[in-house]
Amino acid sequence: MSIAVVTDSTSDLPVDIAALHGITVVPLNVHIEDDSYQDGVNISADELYRRLPNQNVIPTTSAPSVGSFIEVFEKLGQTHDEIISIHLSAKLSLTHNAALNAVSELGSSGPKIKVIDTEQASMALGWTAVQVAEAIATGSTLEDAVALAKSASERSIFVGMVDTLKYLVRGGRIGKAQGFVGSLLKVRPILTMREGEAHPLERARSRRKGIARIKSLVGEYAPLEKLAILYTTDESDAQDIANDVASFAPDGQPVVAQLGPVVGNYLGPGTLGLGLIRAE
Amino acid sequence: MANPAQNTAAISSGTSSRLADMIRATAKAIEANRDTINALNVFPVPDGDTGTNMLLTLRSLVDDLPTKSTESANTVSKNLARSALLGARGNSGLILAQYFKGLAEAIGDSTELSGEHFAKSIRIASDNSYKALPNPVEGTMLTVYRECAEVAEKSVADNEDLESVMAAVAAEALDSVRRTPDLLPVLAEAEVVDSGGFGFAVMLDGALRALRGENPAGRVLPVPMPDGRSFSGSVKADFVDASEEIDWGYCTVFAIHAAQLDLDKIRSHMDSIGKSPIVDGTDGIAKVHVHMEDPGEALTAGITYGELSNIEIANMDDQAAGWAADRRKDPDDSAETPAEPVAIAVVAVAAGDGLSELITSSGMGAASVVEGGDTMNPSVSDLLSAVEATPSKQVILLPNNKNVVPAAKEVPALSKKDVRVVATRSVQTGVAALLAFNTTQTLDENETAMNDVIGEVGDGRVCKASRDVTAYGHEIRKGMAFATFNDDIVAVGREPLAVLSKLLEERASDAEIVTVYTGESLNPEEVASTRETLKSKFEDFEIEVVYGGQPHYEYLVAVE
Repeated sequence: MSIAVVTDSTSDLPVDIAALHGITVVPLNVHIEDDSYQDGVNISADELYRRLPNQNVIPTTSAPSVGSFIEVFEKLGQTHDEIISIHLSAKLSLTHNAALNAVSELGSSGPKIKVIDTEQASMALGWTAVQVAEAIATGSTLEDAVALAKSASERSIFVGMVDTLKYLVRGGRIGKAQGFVGSLLKVRPILTMREGEAHPLERARSRRKGIARIKSLVGEYAPLEKLAILYTTDESDAQDIANDVASFAPDGQPVVAQLGPVVGNYLGPGTLGLGLIRAE
Repeated sequence: MANPAQNTAAISSGTSSRLADMIRATAKAIEANRDTINALNVFPVPDGDTGTNMLLTLRSLVDDLPTKSTESANTVSKNLARSALLGARGNSGLILAQYFKGLAEAIGDSTELSGEHFAKSIRIASDNSYKALPNPVEGTMLTVYRECAEVAEKSVADNEDLESVMAAVAAEALDSVRRTPDLLPVLAEAEVVDSGGFGFAVMLDGALRALRGENPAGRVLPVPMPDGRSFSGSVKADFVDASEEIDWGYCTVFAIHAAQLDLDKIRSHMDSIGKSPIVDGTDGIAKVHVHMEDPGEALTAGITYGELSNIEIANMDDQAAGWAADRRKDPDDSAETPAEPVAIAVVAVAAGDGLSELITSSGMGAASVVEGGDTMNPSVSDLLSAVEATPSKQVILLPNNKNVVPAAKEVPALSKKDVRVVATRSVQTGVAALLAFNTTQTLDENETAMNDVIGEVGDGRVCKASRDVTAYGHEIRKGMAFATFNDDIVAVGREPLAVLSKLLEERASDAEIVTVYTGESLNPEEVASTRETLKSKFEDFEIEVVYGGQPHYEYLVAVE
């Protein structure tokens, strides 16, 4: 009996980590003008961020098709008895829904598949998939894996400090962070995910203060089982944060990960953040 | 227009809206002459706020007037004493309240106002004012009251009607004001006449015009100066310089509530601990006005007589130092109410359209603004009404001025809502605190987050000296710009922008972000050049230049 782990590209899982844990990542789609791309497959994050500030280009995103999930599930079904498919918040995307539809299309003919809505995004989702894969590697059953996916996603936290809320507003993903919109002063909103949508955490008055706050949040959330420092465009800032909070990572080495084109499309250039899982 | 001869012998119940109209007219008259009255103010403290205090006292009275035009004189006058006393601001406001107390007492149960009532009201005002002050001084509003009362009584004895009595009194008020420098040397030195007395003459003129059915709004009355001279528009320069030397302390005003109040005892108590005390009362309320070096001492004394309310404390050293009549804003156009009910509301005090807009824009839909700051401090009741007007049961109050903090701290006890005061000492600190506000957090969490912020903000200000001043070893000539940081003078110079740059060089080296709020006196080009100059000059921290529209200060600065 073997169990396959599937997630989607909004997990922002670095390729090497996904490969190490044998996690299959289903790409969402990015649409720029008349062209469609697959997240991380034929469009890079850097390429998207370069084009984002151009007011005439408003990239949009879409969930993987039901067909692409059927394809992935059928392929994995040849080598695995069961599949756990772990996804982005269903409030933000139809991805979770597409996976569910694929499962019902396949019916009883395919492998046994469990689909999980983590109500999370980015590495908060990515780490949940990793923890599930780790548990499966040490002999966890599908039932245990589902329970762990729920527990891990409840303990997972996403934090993102954005330069501007305009990309979230433009993309219709502003959620409860609406209240942060409108200040005539320049502020750096720090957002999190709560109940599956963007939620306002704090406003930092300057980027430096915001970075300091991100670091102090790591300490507040500790002890941690997983820690990633996230960025869209500013890798060196993310690396600096990682160096300063390294002691909070379980192995002393936080992962520095780039936010992918889909999540990044709504956060924008200059974003810095955290994806972590708190200890039980 | 009504024929005065038919209507003015007495104001009967049928035409009694006239009494309310007359009172409204006094407020309008003061409004039109406020700057002049402010400019005349040298006694007892040259803080240039007599006109403002009289206007605010009258406005609170007008707000309490019955709205129905059919109300009879006794109905109109019924609440006058109480609302005048509670709304009274400053020295002049309290003495002014005596007049309305007198009016209410004179009218009694009568449904009409006669010349006799009017004469009696001034007599009562005069007698009570002399009693309210432990050391009455001639050449002030007291003298004007007394001399007006004499003329009014004579006019009534000659069987004059209300209009004739009022006309005689209005003329006497101006003559009496003209004589005040003969009685009070400080007025002669400053080459002014008594400001409160002139204010009373302005009110009488407004009331008389309303009685005659004329529209007195906007009429500017010439100041009656001795020897046919005309008022220069400001006090004599030598006098201003001399007055800077004096330590004025805090103007402390509060009401005491108790079933039994011994006014004489309170008065002599206040006289023993402070200067220029005025104590007056009605129906279980005593209003106290006293100048204190330590305002806490007056409050401690007051609380031994009953419960305190409407506490207002103004730093007269600040007022005397910032004496500029042009820095006041109309308190009426404020209080934007958030559109949707929110769990927690924020009420913030601010002056300036830009700052008000910044606050509402940054308040997550939960912030409203009470207009005020500097010498025009909102009263406890202004703050309380703004708190009550919010749709939320939980309210965070940002006084945004250290002189408003004591009044703000009275609000939680007076409101049924859960009110937390975050003691912001300046509007720029208040904006920083507001940015820590988050509607998705609890009241406790917000209070803590906002309090954490205010300790991290440095307050800078840049303004022009309204006269020659020597302070902390800096000689500042009139018209020069100077900068303060956390109340220390740090830079002086010709150009406000250069002074601002110096302030930032000296005090912002460790800053992460500096916010500069530009004042109402700067034009858009000056704002743009401020932005460019600062951005090119300072690279070690983020800098944001935004329109504040505040009066008096060219720049307000938050260093974080």
